[in-house]
Amino acid sequence: MSQFSRIFQIARTDFSYFFRTKWLMAILISLNLSDMLVTGLVYKRLVIPTPGLPATFDYFSFLVPGIVTMGLFTAATDTGRRIWLALREGVVQYYLTLPVRTSGLVVAYIVSGGLGGVVYSLSLLLVAFVVLPPQGIVNALILLPFLFVLAMGIAGLAALLASLSRQGEVYWAYAQALQVSMVTISTIFYPSETITRFLPGVVASIAEANPLSLATRALRESAFGTSPLSSSLLVELFVTSLPLAVLGAVAYWVILRTIRIRGKP
Amino acid sequence: MNRVLTLAVFNIRVLLGERMWFVLSWALFGLQLAIFGSLMSRLVVGTVEDYFFFYSIGLIVIIVFESGADLGRHFVEHAREGELPYFLALPISRKGLFAANAIYGATNTVIRVLPPLAVTLAVLGRFSVQGIIFALIALFLLGLGISGIMISMSFIAFKSVDIYIALVAGLSALLIRFSTVFYPLIFMPKIYEPVAYLTPLTYGADLTRWLLGFNPQFLLNPTLALAVVIAVAVGTIFLSVTIMEKLIEGVKAA
Repeated sequence: MSQFSRIFQIARTDFSYFFRTKWLMAILISLNLSDMLVTGLVYKRLVIPTPGLPATFDYFSFLVPGIVTMGLFTAATDTGRRIWLALREGVVQYYLTLPVRTSGLVVAYIVSGGLGGVVYSLSLLLVAFVVLPPQGIVNALILLPFLFVLAMGIAGLAALLASLSRQGEVYWAYAQALQVSMVTISTIFYPSETITRFLPGVVASIAEANPLSLATRALRESAFGTSPLSSSLLVELFVTSLPLAVLGAVAYWVILRTIRIRGKP
Repeated sequence: MNRVLTLAVFNIRVLLGERMWFVLSWALFGLQLAIFGSLMSRLVVGTVEDYFFFYSIGLIVIIVFESGADLGRHFVEHAREGELPYFLALPISRKGLFAANAIYGATNTVIRVLPPLAVTLAVLGRFSVQGIIFALIALFLLGLGISGIMISMSFIAFKSVDIYIALVAGLSALLIRFSTVFYPLIFMPKIYEPVAYLTPLTYGADLTRWLLGFNPQFLLNPTLALAVVIAVAVGTIFLSVTIMEKLIEGVKAA
């Protein structure tokens, strides 16, 4: 068996484990669907176009693409939990006995995290297409590989946090902080014009450069809107996501290598 | 009584050792309030007056909810990790064991809620000692109800922990989204309204807002809210005590 097929098998097993975790699926589905179909619809009645927003601004149409991105984010973040569990419960020692390179193991996890994120968000996208007529299905399909890179980036970030969490339940603190800060400082829930108008420039810049904002913008404009896909936006999404995947992969690789040499993290 | 207090103090000491969680919870509260709260309050301007205050109390209710859910999780974890048989072997009645857990839960709620509540009210210029005391009592009752619900559901965990976690997680998301934690009831689509009346968070959040002086036009009747919050707390405590008395025996560790 070649290295590639071994990596593929590990990634496949991890990917299938993600979708077979019943409680996790219950959390993700209930959170994302209730955000989309309850929070979105109630805020649609609360948010009326204010100065600085288009007169036709509809909050539900605005939020739905953001919820798809949020789904991708939460699903991809689960990679960190799986890595953290493997490190904590010593399963990683077993992984290291497998006939696969350390770098192969790392790649398998990051790819599986990316796949988990993109497949899960695709299911949300289908629900979104039911409640909000799509304007550019082809654009959405073109976006998928970029969403995959984004999901790998987030999986990498989660892997980094898992690698840094040496003790107890610290991983959950990191994961919660990551989730709240990345989602809150983004344009998922509010237009960038509103952020620019009411918050300091540095917060607006972070929110705009946040890869979650970029993915949401691409979905809003080209999958649910009528604009063509912006190549510069895709490049920005790729450039902001890839380093996160690399960073996470390196951190996880360092931890695995340390375990291989010293027998412990 | 002494034994109950000893056990409660032991649990509280463990709790106080986890300072990082409190600091994190307060920091995330501050971040959400400063960014999400302030931006959404600009977006809903014209529909709900002082949405920022409305949202900040909603966030406090979320902390109470998490703290209540934490008590249930704590109880299930004790069962899973095999600590429960040890606690059951202590010379302490089942009711005493419940009381010790309740004291732990109340302390957890007060520590998590008091600093952000006091700071938020001070920043908004709505700080008053009696407001804080009454709000804390309402939140404490709500927290008791939530803990009771979580402990009452824990018997499911004795059969399958996965199903318990899935149920609690799914239920939590729905209880929050369908409640008035983040938006007033009058803005909910008619189809969701009946569900909003079924979640105790609706009553707890609106009661706390009323006690702190929010415009009652956007809130439920405070007498009804108070009656429901007390009924949920008493009802679920009764259920939890019954579970402690009758179902707890023979729980298998994971």
